[in-house]
Amino acid sequence: MSDIVGWLDEYAWGALVILRVFAVAALLTLIFGVIGAAAKMAGGLSARIASAYVTMFRGTPELLILLLFYFGSAVTLTAIARLTDPAAGFVDIPPFWAGALALGLIAGAYATESFRGAFLGVDSGQIDAARALGLKPRAILIFVRLPQAWRIALPSFGNHLISLMKDTALVSVIGLNEIMFTAKMATSVTQKPFTMFATVAVIYLIFTTGLTTALRALERRANRHLVR
Amino acid sequence: MRMLLSFAAALVLTATSASAETLKVGTECTYHPFNYRTEDGKLTGYDVDVATEVGKRIDAEIEFVCQEWKGMIPALLAGKFDLIVASMSITEKRLEQIDFSAPYRVSIGQFVGAKDKKLKLFEGDAVNPAGFEGIKIGLERATTYEEWLKAKVPAAEVAYYDSNEAMYLDLAAGRVDAIMTNPMKAYLKFLSQEDGAGFEVVGPQIEEQAYFGIGVGVGLRKGNDDLKERINTALKGMTEDGTLGEFGLRYFPFTIHPQEWKGTS
Repeated sequence: MSDIVGWLDEYAWGALVILRVFAVAALLTLIFGVIGAAAKMAGGLSARIASAYVTMFRGTPELLILLLFYFGSAVTLTAIARLTDPAAGFVDIPPFWAGALALGLIAGAYATESFRGAFLGVDSGQIDAARALGLKPRAILIFVRLPQAWRIALPSFGNHLISLMKDTALVSVIGLNEIMFTAKMATSVTQKPFTMFATVAVIYLIFTTGLTTALRALERRANRHLVR
Repeated sequence: MRMLLSFAAALVLTATSASAETLKVGTECTYHPFNYRTEDGKLTGYDVDVATEVGKRIDAEIEFVCQEWKGMIPALLAGKFDLIVASMSITEKRLEQIDFSAPYRVSIGQFVGAKDKKLKLFEGDAVNPAGFEGIKIGLERATTYEEWLKAKVPAAEVAYYDSNEAMYLDLAAGRVDAIMTNPMKAYLKFLSQEDGAGFEVVGPQIEEQAYFGIGVGVGLRKGNDDLKERINTALKGMTEDGTLGEFGLRYFPFTIHPQEWKGTS
């Protein structure tokens, strides 16, 4: 166990990287999920685009998408830059943004379906009642449909967030120095793979436990009117 | 037109290299003792020493990028960094995709045996077939070391192993008298450990490219002949003035660079 002590600060920095990737990706998940669900329900061309998005990002391995973003972004952006300026050097997005964007898009694809299902799951009687009360469509959306859809969506959205948290373990392949990377580094020097990777497991368990607790609190709040 | 463009590009390049040029160097950061981080977060190792010194000699700032092994060549090609200094062996297959400098570390084979056995497998640098009589040699199955021994000492008695670890264990237990392997690996996994205390490398480092490959070089994108030339000049200087030797001795009790400068072949 003493092998770990010298590496604790490295693990701390690695854990911070994970939290930052998670925070950005979770925000993007929410945004892409809402846009995707709205587009799907709007019908027409936007629904078809949203369907293509979901098919693509839900139907390919996370690792593959991550690598495509990291390498593909550099190749594409460089090609574009060279169209305008042939002597342009390599253009690139930093691994942090490539990683957070890729993970956000993947989780967003899952969230699209969850949000759409939740929105459609709101009891139609509620909406009829709101109309009968003379509420305008916007007011119905904000005060009736969204809060109830949020309540229905939370459990599955929470699932997506937890799996997103675990997906952050993949970003070491694109050169981000997170805790998997720290573990590999430390293993290389100390020859103690079990200790080092067990530490990674503990850190992830702490994060996912924290997340689960936070989600439970959110659900309790969303359901507060149902408690008798 | 293309010539004009490349000329212009060369102009831009020389213009930037006059001021402090920055070269990004891709390395694994997890490959002890060639490129790794110490507990206090400092990147170090033989590869890192070499890259830093090359940077000094060609007057370029070196900036390290940690990249997983699997994506090393794609990342170089995508421009994530300009050089690979990551213990990457020069192979035909890799040369189809990227260029390499001359080797800065050798691929070698060497025998390891008990200190008190007085093995005479070599006379000077030449193989001494008589010294192999009554001696059992441990080899990893289907390796270049097996090919070498079969070609040089067909009569040698051999025991085959599927893993290095099993081979070290049998050597320590006396079931084989000597083993032939990569001396760097043998040092890290065996000679420097408790079990390997009574053992040492026997005979010369065998540096035969036909069997063991050319060695480890600095990888760079094709079409950078000017940069490659500068790196080779720096490596030549480092080979000849003993800098590479000194770097090797920081991590091993023997040197690990080509003994003579051969250039790129």
